[in-house]
Amino acid sequence: MSTTPRVSSAIAGEPAHFGSVLAHQPEIAARFFALYGQFWGSDVLAARIKEIARMRNARVTECGFCRNVRFDKAVAQGLGEDVVDDITDGYATSDRLTATEKAALRFTDALIHDPELLNGDARAALRQHLTPAQIAELGLGVTLFLALAKALITMGLEPEIMGRTVLPTPAVLEAAL
Amino acid sequence: MMGPVHAALASDPVLAEHYAAFRATAVSALDPALGELIQAAIAGVHGIEAAVIDDAALDPGTLATIAYARRIPFEHTAISDGEAAAVIAHLGEPGFVAFSVVAALADAECRAALVDLPGLVKV
Repeated sequence: MSTTPRVSSAIAGEPAHFGSVLAHQPEIAARFFALYGQFWGSDVLAARIKEIARMRNARVTECGFCRNVRFDKAVAQGLGEDVVDDITDGYATSDRLTATEKAALRFTDALIHDPELLNGDARAALRQHLTPAQIAELGLGVTLFLALAKALITMGLEPEIMGRTVLPTPAVLEAAL
Repeated sequence: MMGPVHAALASDPVLAEHYAAFRATAVSALDPALGELIQAAIAGVHGIEAAVIDDAALDPGTLATIAYARRIPFEHTAISDGEAAAVIAHLGEPGFVAFSVVAALADAECRAALVDLPGLVKV
C-alpha cells in the first residue's frame, strides 16, 4: 500500500489530499460533497451508528486516514474512543456497543467483506433494530465509506503518520450545485 | 433504475437524487465504453452476471486499466505504483481520478447487490 500520492494536487499550493486530488474532477467533487453533506445531515440514522460503520470499514479496508478521523456529531452522541476500541473482529461481545450497533456492524461486515455474514438471524436482527429507511441510509453510508476508502488507498493518499483528528461533520452544501 | 443503492433509497427522494447525480457525474467523466468495461470487469470478479470482456480485443492501455479494475474488489492494498502509473499514462490524471471513483463505486454497488440491499428495505 502506497503512502506516496499517485496523483498530483489540482489546487496550487496545496499538497495532494482527497480534496485537492478530487479537484481534478470538480463536478464529481461538487456532487460528492453535496451527497456526503446530505447523508451526514440526515438524522434518519443516528450519526453515532454511521460513524461506527465508518470505523469498521476503516479497519477492514485498512484505510488509515478514515481510521484516524472522527466526525464531531458522532462524538457528541457519545462515541468515545472506548467504544471505537471495541469495533474489532470481536465486536459481538462488546458491552459498550448496543444491540442495534452490533446489527449495523454485522451488515457492514457483510457488505464490505462477506455477504454470507448476513444470514437469516443477522438479517432478522437488522430489520428488528432498524427501520427500512434507516437500513437504506446505512447501506448508502457503507457504500460511500467503502468506495471512498478504496479510492483514497489506490490513489496513494494514505498518510504516513496521522493522529486522531476530530473534524466538523460534513454539512449540507446547498450552494455547491 | 440506477443500481441497488439508488433502489434502496426510493423512500428518500432527496438522498436518492444526490446519489444518482454523484454516480452519473462520475460515470460520465469517462468514455462510455470504458465505463461499461469497468462495471463488467468488477461485476465479473464478484460473480455477478455481466457482459463478457474479450481481453484480446483491448488496446494495451485499456487492458491495463481493466486489469487494475479487477484488483479493486479483493486486492486494493496490493496494487502497485507501476500499475497505477500505467493507468495514469492511459487516462491522464483527471481520468485516473474519475476511474478510481467509478471503479470503487462499482465494487461497492456489487457488494450492495450481493447483500440484497433493496430487499432489506422492503416493508
